[in-house]
Amino acid sequence: MSQNIISEEKVFNELKKAVVETLRVDADKINPETSLIKDLGAESLDFLDINYRLEQAFGIKMARHFVLEHIEEMFGEGTAIDENGQLTDKAVETLRIRFGNGVSELKPGMDMDEVPALLTTQSMVRGVMDILDSLSEKCSKCGSSGWESKDTVRITCASCGEPATFTNGDELIKEWLTKVQEDKKIF
Amino acid sequence: MKLYQGIDIVEVGKFRKILLRNINFTTDIFTEQEREYCLSRKDPYIHFAGRFAVKEASMKALGIGLSGSGIDHAFQEIETIPGASGKPVLSFSGWVGKISEKQRINQLTVSISHSSNYAVASVILVGTQ
Ligand SMILES: [Zn+2]
Repeated sequence: MSQNIISEEKVFNELKKAVVETLRVDADKINPETSLIKDLGAESLDFLDINYRLEQAFGIKMARHFVLEHIEEMFGEGTAIDENGQLTDKAVETLRIRFGNGVSELKPGMDMDEVPALLTTQSMVRGVMDILDSLSEKCSKCGSSGWESKDTVRITCASCGEPATFTNGDELIKEWLTKVQEDKKIF
Repeated sequence: MKLYQGIDIVEVGKFRKILLRNINFTTDIFTEQEREYCLSRKDPYIHFAGRFAVKEASMKALGIGLSGSGIDHAFQEIETIPGASGKPVLSFSGWVGKISEKQRINQLTVSISHSSNYAVASVILVGTQ
């Protein structure tokens, strides 16, 4: 269910907060096009920390497996990565749909480990919003369909206060890939 | 024959802080055997940091980048356990194992070193491609 309790702007602000606390950079250095790795020099420990902070803030679980891995799991070995560890045409086509054409540097034959540096804060915000938008129709405890957020990050049931539950990031990627395959028949 | 190399250094103080702040860190990142081994040592954090460096060094050697979320299951798929002689033994499974098979890697070696402030790991992989 698409929710309008927590806005994209709110998620971006939480991400900014996490980045400032982890990397000790000025908040005004962070805009939607910023790559944490390329522009702010985040290493993987920082990346882990930032994502854990977001999970804790919103009460969500992000994907543990990258899109490329899900593609091979669903559509067969070799469909995303060739024997040299490079992206296939089909993998690039799928990543472009997922991350938007803003990620113009994506190209077939690119090494798999070049991809993370291309991801921007905007794509991270999208990932969190996708999970928040998986908010269930009704509260699992009392069946009410009224949701609210008192602290503006955690969604709870307006009648009984039960915390909202969301689909985890990996499940959402699989659902998304199924839909993209139905629409575009890439694989 | 083709050689792949990866090296990584971890600042133990920073690592420890991040590990302690996030309750799921050890179970998300380390295998059961790794946790058992590290927790049995006098200073577990240095050993966790060393094994984390192995995971990073292996990903560099294989050319695997972090997943979108950073809390990557690939970390779980790179395991270092003490061998019979006490020398660490490295193995891959899951998606990391698949990438390693694609590159026809059939030998893995690892070396770990630490001081009280830093842990370093070097990984060398041999492929037949
Ligand atoms: Zn309720």
